[in-house]
Amino acid sequence: MARYLLTRAWHSALTLVLASVVVFIGIRALPGDPALALAGEDRSPAALAAIRAEYGLDRPVTVQFGHFVERAVRGDFGSSIRTGIPVSDMIRTALPVTVELSVLAILIAALLGIGAGVVAAVRRGRPAEWAANALALIGLSVPHFWLGLLAILYLSVATGLFPASGFVPLLEDPVGNLHHVILPAVILGTGLAAIIMRQTRSAMLDSLSADYVRTAKAKGLSPRAVIGRHALRNSLIVVVTIVGLQLGGLISGAVVTESIFGLPGFGKMTIDAVFQRDYPVIQAVVLLTATAYIVINFLVDLLYSLIDPRIRVAGEVA
Amino acid sequence: MTVVTVPMVESPAGLTRRTRVFRRLRRNPLAIISFVVLLVAVLAAVLAPWIAPHSVEETDFGSIFASPGTPGHLLGTDDLGRDVLSRIIFGVRASLEVGLLAVFTALVVGVPLGLAAGYFRAVDAVIGRFTDLLLAFPFLILAVGLAAIRGASLGNAAVAIGIAQIPGVIRVIRSDTLRLKSLDFVAAAVVDGASDLWVLTRHILPNATSVILVQATVTLPVAILGEAVLSFLGLGIQPPSPSLGTMLATAQQFAAKAPWAATFPGVAIMILALAFNVFGDALRDALDPKGDR
Amino acid sequence: MTNLSRALSRAAVGAVALVCTLTACSPVAEQAAPGEKPSQSQDSFGTPANADEVKQGGKLTVALSAEPDRLDPSLSRSLYSRYVFQAMCEKLYDVDEKAQVVPQLATALPTVAADGKTVTIPVRQGVKFADGTDFNAAAVKTTLERHLTLPESARKSEIGPIDTVDAPDPQTVLIHLKTPFAPLLGALADRAGMIMSPAALQKLGTNFASAPVCVGPFKFSKRVPQSSIDVVRDPNYYAADKVHLDAISWRILTDASIRAANLRSGDAEVADSVSTQDVDSLRKESSLTVLRSQSLGYQGITINVGNADGIGKPTRQIDTPIAKNKQVRQAFEYAIDRKALVNAVFNGIAAPACGPISPASAFSSEEAQQCREHDPAKAKQLLEQAGVKTPYTVTMLASNTPDTLRLAQALQSMVKDAGFDIKINPVEYSSLLDEQDRGNFEILQLGWSGRIDPDANITNFVGTGGSQNVAGSSNPALDAVLDQARQATSVDERKKLYGQAVTLLHDDNPLVYLYRQANLTAFSNKVKGVQVFPDGVIRAAFAGFAK
Repeated sequence: MARYLLTRAWHSALTLVLASVVVFIGIRALPGDPALALAGEDRSPAALAAIRAEYGLDRPVTVQFGHFVERAVRGDFGSSIRTGIPVSDMIRTALPVTVELSVLAILIAALLGIGAGVVAAVRRGRPAEWAANALALIGLSVPHFWLGLLAILYLSVATGLFPASGFVPLLEDPVGNLHHVILPAVILGTGLAAIIMRQTRSAMLDSLSADYVRTAKAKGLSPRAVIGRHALRNSLIVVVTIVGLQLGGLISGAVVTESIFGLPGFGKMTIDAVFQRDYPVIQAVVLLTATAYIVINFLVDLLYSLIDPRIRVAGEVA
Repeated sequence: MTVVTVPMVESPAGLTRRTRVFRRLRRNPLAIISFVVLLVAVLAAVLAPWIAPHSVEETDFGSIFASPGTPGHLLGTDDLGRDVLSRIIFGVRASLEVGLLAVFTALVVGVPLGLAAGYFRAVDAVIGRFTDLLLAFPFLILAVGLAAIRGASLGNAAVAIGIAQIPGVIRVIRSDTLRLKSLDFVAAAVVDGASDLWVLTRHILPNATSVILVQATVTLPVAILGEAVLSFLGLGIQPPSPSLGTMLATAQQFAAKAPWAATFPGVAIMILALAFNVFGDALRDALDPKGDR
Repeated sequence: MTNLSRALSRAAVGAVALVCTLTACSPVAEQAAPGEKPSQSQDSFGTPANADEVKQGGKLTVALSAEPDRLDPSLSRSLYSRYVFQAMCEKLYDVDEKAQVVPQLATALPTVAADGKTVTIPVRQGVKFADGTDFNAAAVKTTLERHLTLPESARKSEIGPIDTVDAPDPQTVLIHLKTPFAPLLGALADRAGMIMSPAALQKLGTNFASAPVCVGPFKFSKRVPQSSIDVVRDPNYYAADKVHLDAISWRILTDASIRAANLRSGDAEVADSVSTQDVDSLRKESSLTVLRSQSLGYQGITINVGNADGIGKPTRQIDTPIAKNKQVRQAFEYAIDRKALVNAVFNGIAAPACGPISPASAFSSEEAQQCREHDPAKAKQLLEQAGVKTPYTVTMLASNTPDTLRLAQALQSMVKDAGFDIKINPVEYSSLLDEQDRGNFEILQLGWSGRIDPDANITNFVGTGGSQNVAGSSNPALDAVLDQARQATSVDERKKLYGQAVTLLHDDNPLVYLYRQANLTAFSNKVKGVQVFPDGVIRAAFAGFAK
């Protein structure tokens, strides 16, 4: 186990370093100069030079990178080139929005997905399965930003049931917060729900036909108990795996969902930063997403071994 | 080529596996419906210049936002007076192009890497890091980067989407390679002194075809939806050529005024993605060896 | 006539007449074209709140279309910062609804010495900054010197010719110029004229934006990145009794339809940059008012004639027909039907523009408004004369925003008849700026938000060596006229010179002007006193909730 953890830590560190290097060099290789983006309308060569000097953009990339690493280790990501606000402050306000949105989306997706998946597996060949499958396929096929637009058009603007956009921090006004976030979360969760449903269904079908379930049934356990116990375990594994794998997808999805619903989240911050070539923000974002990916996948593997001890062996091989 | 047929065991009925797969697909009504939808889409895409009632670039400032059913404009017109139906037909063409190019990109990179990772333990860790890097890297940053370097275009959007799909392909191919490697016939070939390259290309790759095929059908709808997202962010096709995603992005501004312009392209994307998903499911079921029981 | 203030007051009379042609004063002129919606092409700036119709207190929420950058008058480069500054950073001068400069922290328009090089500005007495520090001439000196000396200052180019600033007594500021510089007044009516608390500057230095302190009806409260900026009523403000609201909150909502939705749902009382597509439906709602003011800037097509090696490098003639031959550029302009363009793309709300000077400007003249009207036959003929084979393909760089792309596509289909085949090359905004400065384009769609003084709308863009002359154009005759206009102190003289400049510009045609955006601001009728002046800035500091 110790050796496994060590290898794991080493791989994680490597991924982080690789991601930082790639993004650091990558964004500087892109056409588009943050000084220009910042200078906006009033730009003169002198002003551009001053901006570059202020942010050290005129120094060699290696020097800049050294500086970045040195500060990043201390948790200092510098200040946004555009607004001058410390990147850590920006992340502190943006991240909770996206985390809340994603957690809520995952919860909704898990609830819908597991429910529909179990029903589809148990009621094989009946209309219930057919309906669950159809819904899942539609969930997979619908562009979710389009769904968001339709939701705003028909649910918010037309009926006024939900606010069309905006955000209230959770701590300031929990009810208002939920009111603002629930619709985007449902939209963001649709695709995920479909994936979870399909995986749950197939996992359930596998285990329902597995020998140990047959044995359990033969021993006289009620079908409900068999389904309940195994469904739960399988579904958990499915959800955990998918959350691990879909993290990147969730963030991409969050960008669009946040843009449409005007949520001041991490995704929106990311895309704005990329468009404006706000190097310090992009660097911090990539480092943070990479870290999140690594941590979550590590947790996923840990959870695996807790849920089903057989899996860890496979995990170690990989 | 004689060795290749080893795993392609004849079924009890004396039919090849391929024939059985086709037969199973034919017996599945959903497979047939989705196949027909896809066939229509492909035909429309190929014949677009001939079947589209209007030119996609032809603007008519006199009939902006004509409602659906207006003579000459079955699905109405858009913000510049262009025929929505014609633009959807060409949009389907663009979506299919993106889908195919993205899948091609993902497979061309992902399959060899997946094979190598599954077959050679030595490179597995390296490829594993590469996969991690791709997964940990926000896909949108990549897409914007590509668009910035090479300009926003359909091709770049497709490549960006394709790259994002590489890890998935690597994973699936890697695990299938691991499975195949442990099978007797591969071991036998290795004992016979076949080179690694030979074993990979002549034994493992042909047997992984069905997995690759299924992965391709799964990736296609993802790519089509991905195109819509990128176009929505302004990173898609070069105007005035239409894509379903750009049509949606533009129509969004006028959603209150001309809901049809925001509805039809979305429905088109959904039908296209749905058809691929349904067909992919059917194909997977048909290829599933468990179905042989 | 060296007294700038007298010159300006005279110009004011002319400007009133001009404004009248745009507003209800002379509706006949406006309603010429049938099918046009007259109400949409007229400016409406709003009216100030009547003290007895509003109640005290309340928090006003303004939906803002873009996030302001640094809230530091020396460093701010984004136009949206001005919206926020308007409530908390008063300027030496302000702009009124007739695009006239009026005193704000100054007590009168400046007096200019005979040689044009010394400007005297009298400033208010007994005024305090939000932190309690006294406002006086010394504070003005500190601020102006900071604008000049801070390395990353965005103001330097606007007040460039200032040599030194003196404060002989607390109410008098003396500005010594290296050369006469008429555009100074316009600059002091913008961010360069915002005076910062010397105590806050001392304490925060370049970090002033973290807690900006100025003289204003409101003072900075807090900022949540990419989400909101809040200000609260400033008890130290010299006219605090005129302020009705307790607080103003700017909420950043970049999507136009979402801003409109927030306005309708009552989550916001004011929204800026309403989409031209939403205006009709918003106008129909009795609970809302839409204000329109025509931008002082322009949108247009820049043709790369000599920017071969990038901006800042000597220009070099580019070897394409459209770059080499002004007939081709003129043909391009003849091919454009501005009115149809504006109607199709902007719902008829933006105003067609043929030159850099807005008709609302005090410096506009008949020459300045001359126009090359749509004439495809003439375009074809000119192309033929120039020996260009049609269809002639030109690649147009444009930003990838939906509005720009719509404009580009409409333009593309419009000029086709005349023999131009435009290929659109959409790039995201950062890349666009990069490409244009490198000279990596054939033609380019871009605009300018506009300033009060015409010099700031022309010289930098078409003058030889101008910092934004991305066309790489160079015309010594034009340079001479622009230089004269910059140093001339009488408005009449400047007006005449700018008329000549526009004529020269039209002949050369490196920049084909297309239209002027309309600043559309919508607000709920629950609020009284929201105004928008030609500088486009929302003025809500003295607004209040209706009783």
